[in-house]
Formats: sequence, structure tokens, C-alpha cells
Amino acid sequence: MASHYSMYWRLLAALALACGLTAPVAAQEVTGAATTTTRAMPALTSVTQSMLDGAANDSKNWLHSNGSYDQTRYYTGKQINTQNVARLKPAFVFQTAVVESMETAPIVDNGVMFLTTSFNHVYAIDAKTGEEYWHYKHKLGPIVTVCCGNNNRGVAIAEGKLYMGTIDAKLVALDAKTGKLLWETQIADPDKGYSETMAPAYIDGKILIGTNGGEYGIRGFVKAFDAKDGKLIWTFYTIPDKGHEGVWAAKDATGRDMHRNIEAEKAAFAKDSSFYQQLGGGVWMTPAIDRKTKTVFFVVGNPSPDLYGAIRPGDNLYTDSMVAIDLDKGTYKWHYQYIAHDVWDLDSVSPPILTQAKDANGKMVDVVIHGGKTGHIYIHERDSGKLIRFSEAMIPQENMWVLPTKEGARMLPGANGGVEWSPMAVNPTTRLAYAANLHQPMTYHVEEVPYPGGKLWLGGAFKTIPSEEQWGQLTAINLDTGKVAWKAKTPQPLIGGVLATAGGLVFNGEANGWFKAYDAKTGHELWKYNCGAGVNAPAVSYMVGNTQYIAVAAGGNNQIDAKRGNSVFVFALP
Amino acid sequence: MDMLKTTILILSVLACACPTQAQQLDSTQMAAARTKAQVCFACHGPDGNSTVGEYPILAGQSWRYIYIELKDFKEGRRSDEQMSPVAEKLSTEDMTLLGEFFAAQKQAPIKFPVDSAKVDAGRKTSDAVLCPMCHLGGFVGQNEIPRVAGQWPQYIKKQLADFKARRRTNDAGNMTSVAATLSDADIENLSQYIGNLY
Repeated sequence: MASHYSMYWRLLAALALACGLTAPVAAQEVTGAATTTTRAMPALTSVTQSMLDGAANDSKNWLHSNGSYDQTRYYTGKQINTQNVARLKPAFVFQTAVVESMETAPIVDNGVMFLTTSFNHVYAIDAKTGEEYWHYKHKLGPIVTVCCGNNNRGVAIAEGKLYMGTIDAKLVALDAKTGKLLWETQIADPDKGYSETMAPAYIDGKILIGTNGGEYGIRGFVKAFDAKDGKLIWTFYTIPDKGHEGVWAAKDATGRDMHRNIEAEKAAFAKDSSFYQQLGGGVWMTPAIDRKTKTVFFVVGNPSPDLYGAIRPGDNLYTDSMVAIDLDKGTYKWHYQYIAHDVWDLDSVSPPILTQAKDANGKMVDVVIHGGKTGHIYIHERDSGKLIRFSEAMIPQENMWVLPTKEGARMLPGANGGVEWSPMAVNPTTRLAYAANLHQPMTYHVEEVPYPGGKLWLGGAFKTIPSEEQWGQLTAINLDTGKVAWKAKTPQPLIGGVLATAGGLVFNGEANGWFKAYDAKTGHELWKYNCGAGVNAPAVSYMVGNTQYIAVAAGGNNQIDAKRGNSVFVFALP
Repeated sequence: MDMLKTTILILSVLACACPTQAQQLDSTQMAAARTKAQVCFACHGPDGNSTVGEYPILAGQSWRYIYIELKDFKEGRRSDEQMSPVAEKLSTEDMTLLGEFFAAQKQAPIKFPVDSAKVDAGRKTSDAVLCPMCHLGGFVGQNEIPRVAGQWPQYIKKQLADFKARRRTNDAGNMTSVAATLSDADIENLSQYIGNLY
């Protein structure tokens, strides 16, 4: 079976050679040991539950992929600020051995950084100097089935261990000090299209993780595993056994008609409703967790197949929805569906954020928000899921919701959004949420295809329109009004994610290699640095000693085919 | 957007692809696999490096794509007057072994008359229809999505035309949908562009 790795090896070998590495490829296969240095890691403090709970106010460490359980990606340190950011310089660049799409959000604990690459490599490095402590490479199984690249978005850390989901649909636990594999467990069957790219979440001895696979006809879920040994604790299926037909909604969350033929759907549903086992509903990104109410919030991706809806009549619950479940039992609390019976793949991917916003009466309330591929940010009451408001459209919308055709129907946004998986950031002082947008005009094509048993199953195709310009935009939305506060246009669509800091800054990367800092209030560009490869990963910030650092991966991106690289750039004031 | 430049860079980066780590079969298994594969060499060339544009290169292809295609030939989801009778006799073990064997072989570069204008146009079409989203940058393929970099243009043209005309339909609808709006010129350009990758 090991020979099935051959394609993977060739790709890695090619990539390693391409970046000028002269060491034999075998040197990169070391598991649980360093590849560039043998320096031992100094004492590593064990990350406790209370440290994880307090991460939102911890300016020393970056302990969650999105900063905290609230996932605001708001860093409270302000050494680097609007006044001095223009002087920001690289402190070091760490090169991995894998030249391929990087979507990692590094974790930093007491001066040690843990970062991941495509194909599930993990590195532990000195967060001040970039010296490598160890390098772990996951032994991939024979079958890997991924949509959109062999990516990884980072690890979870707790109690001296790291946790990573893998593209062959496993969950692995590593010793944070040594990189040694402690246990691994198979989450789902990769032969059926399951894979993992999200950073898992650790809480109260549990590891929470969703799944990719909405392009392969999976049945999505969020699972909780025991952090000690990887034993399954509970499973919440994002496609319920019964009731997935929903309420036969004619309109989307913003009140626009989706042009469904509901009578025909009902007739088809009466004949056969057994398709829920292949109805999709991946959960691509880390859930947010409300400790007070023991609630887990996540968004659910598209139904399968993406574009061919006649085969899956009904609302296809809980696809394209925000869902809240109980942390201890994994039981349903509420859901809110943005698009019923989606046939455009304009689904929900960007991770939910817990924050506060004014309700319709002007009262500040706890909310959960999501930036959709539709181009709207949706703001919900956290307890009930009730939609308080949706933002102005951040990017052009045209011809919504025209149905896909054989020849292709043009509609904006294109199928990448809007807001893709890129996490947003929220600054509670400016009252703004910051979203990385794409504008990619596309045509939507439908193809009538039955479930193909583990082959890619789009039910058609998305195609960009060569004559139409593509661009990106960093957009700030006022949480209390839903209005656009500012927009900063970029020459290429944005994928990666945003960091906001108490220094009044917003950091965001671009596919052309630019990594930029903006004034959080005005959107004025204050600083930029070109990393030489696509910056398509969310930045993080931390301190070692008295110095604040900003770290971001520049490895390019498979989905928008941004130039590949292999590095994490780390910046500080000189 | 600057996807064109990006793609050129990626492709130039991938241009030195060398299968250094391919073979995991032990020598006995390899010998058995080679014996089993002998019948394929007649058309697909020595070790799967076809020298005739009509027959696809199998050397360096993903094992899973080869396995799935053989299974589809055997079970009638894909048909070809030469391949179907060959695949009919294969067991699951045979198909796995053949997939592993060809995946482990080094793909040789091909020579054909390259038209740089067509290559350039093909690259633009590839970006527009989002080929790399599934076939990955440089068309190196992944899992059940085939490697097509450096494949014979004649073969690529036939497959795209077959997808378009629905003579080939074992692709779960993805390629038939992509090919539906490709013109003959698009297909010609894509075949030049992809064939010219290595």
C-alpha cells in the first residue's frame, strides 16, 4: 500500500527541488525530528484550559488559530501601532521543506511557534529567531481525496499536546515538546471524499473537528474526540436523518427569490428522500465556542452535488447554515439557513465570530456573526440565532439567483464568494468587522449526474469569464449598522484571512506577495512588504520578551492558483 | 488578475519534476507487476511511456486514476474497442498492481511541434475554466484526478472532444460540463499547453 504514496512523493520531490533544496528528499521524511537544526526546545509551558479561556486578552501568546474561542482575531498588544508600523521590518523568515499552498495560522506558546504546511507537516521553531526544534511529517494513507488543495490551517494546542486534522481524514496528537506522534484516529473514510484541513478546537479535554467533502457527496459532521486517546465522544451530523427538507423556503436570508420549483421538488422528495447520506454539508473551519452557555457555533458548507439540485429536493438542511449545538452532548440548539437548496456553491465557510452588536432596538447584545460567500456579513442573536441584520453587499451582486444552465449562466458573486474560508477579524473599539473579499465573475453550469461513489461530484462546473476583471477587497463593516465603513481594493481576489490589533491596525495579505497593514478606522494603507509568494494565510501576533511580532505564511494558494512559496515571515519593529 | 504570470511561475517551478521517491513495491512485486504490464506496453510504450500520440502515457500517472479507469472499462462505464476487452479480464488485484506499477515509472518528456501562440492561449483557457482547482498547478493531478502534464496532445484532444460529445461520460459530469463550452480551438490550444508541460 505504501506505493500509493508515489504521486505525493513526486510532487513533494519536484517542489523541494524547485526551491533549490539540494538535500535528498529522504531528509525531509524524518518524523519527529528536526531537519535543519538539532537544537533542543527549551522548557515549554503546558497550555492550560484557563490559558485557552483567557486567550482573547493574552498579548504574549497566540493559542487558538483564530486567537480565542470567540475567534475575533483581535490581538490586544499595541507595541506595533498606527504611529510606528511604517518602520516594521522582517525579523526572520522560516522556510519549510514544502513549496505548496500555505493556509496555516501559527500557534505561539511562550516563544515557541508551531506551524503547518500542505501535506500535514508540522514545525516547531523558536518564535524569536526562527531556529527549528523539530519537524513532523504525517504518514499519509493510500487514499487522499481533497477539493481545493492539500492544505492545512493549523494545530490546536493544550496540555503539552498538539492536535492536527489530516488530508487523509485522521486526527493526530503530537507531543508539543518533541513532535512525537502520541496517537492517531481515523475520523472518516477518505475513499468517500472525507478530508481535514481545518485547525481543530480543544476544550475541556475534547477535540472538536468538522470535515471537508461537500464536493464528493459526503455526509458532513462535527465530531468530538477525547483529547487523551482519540476516542469518539459524540457526532453531530450536519445533515439530519429526518427533516432535511426544511420549510421549502422560497427566499434567501436577504429576501431574494431563489427561483425554486418547489412543487417539483416536493414530488421528487415524496418518491425518494434517502439521499441524505450523500448530501454534503462539510464544516471547513474551526467552530467558535461560548463557554458561558456551553454552545458550539459553526457554519455548514454546500449540499452535494454543488450545482445539480434536482437530485436532492428540499432545503437540504443544515447546508449553507449557521448551526449552534451543545458542547457536552453535541445536540442541536438552533440553526439559521442562508440559502435553501443552494445550486451555486455560495455556501458558508468563513468561521463564526462571537462578539457584541446593537440589536434592532439599539441595545448591545451578544451576537454570532458570519461572512458569507454571498458577500454579506450576517449578524445573529447568539441565544436564538435570530438574524438581527445583514450587511450591505461588500462586492457586486448581479443576476441573483439565476439558475445554472448547461451552457452556463452568469451570476455575481462567483462561486468562491464573497468571503471564502478566510477568517474575518473584529475590533471591538472601532465596532468594525474586517472581511477579505473576492470578486470573480463566473458562469454556473449544471450537469445531471448521479452519485459517482467517491469521485469529484460537482454536478456541473464553474468557469471564470476571461473578459471580466477579477479583483479583491478588504472591507470594514460596522457591526451596529451593517454599513460599509471603508473598502480597500486589491488587484487580485483575497483568500487568507485578517488580523486586527489594539494598535489600531488591520493586517491582510494578497496573492501577489504583498502583506499590508491598514489603519483600522480609515482603511488607509500604512505599510507593506512583498513576501515573494502569495500571502494567502491569516496573520497572527505575539510577544517574546518585550518585542511584539507579526507572523504570516507566504506559500501561495491552490484555489486561486497564487504563486507558491514555503515560508513564514515574521516582522517586528527594529 | 495576474493569474497568467502566476501560472507561468508555478509551471517553471514544476518544470524540474523528477520522480525520486516513486517505487515502494519490493523487487519481487515489481517484477510481477512488470510481467503483468507487458501486455500494456504494446500500445502504451515501454514502462508506459507511449511513443504514439493516439495512446496515453501511463508512466507517472496516479495509481488511483489508473485503477478507477480500468475498473470503469471493465464495468462498462467507459468504453474503448481496444481497452474494454483487455480490462474485462482483470481482477481487482491486477488493476491495483498495474496502477502501482505505472505510478512508479518515470514519465519521459515528449516531442511534438509546439505552437507558442496556442500554448499561450491554452494557458488562458485553463485559467478561465479553473483546471488547476482539480488538476492542481502544473496539471500534476491528485488522487483520482489524473496527471495530464506532458501528455500527448492528440490524446488530450480526443478526450476533451469525447467529453464534449458525451462519448466519454465516466467523469461524474465534471469534465463533460467543462468541455461543453470549449470550442475546437480551445481544445487544440489546451492540448498544446498541457502537452507542453513537464
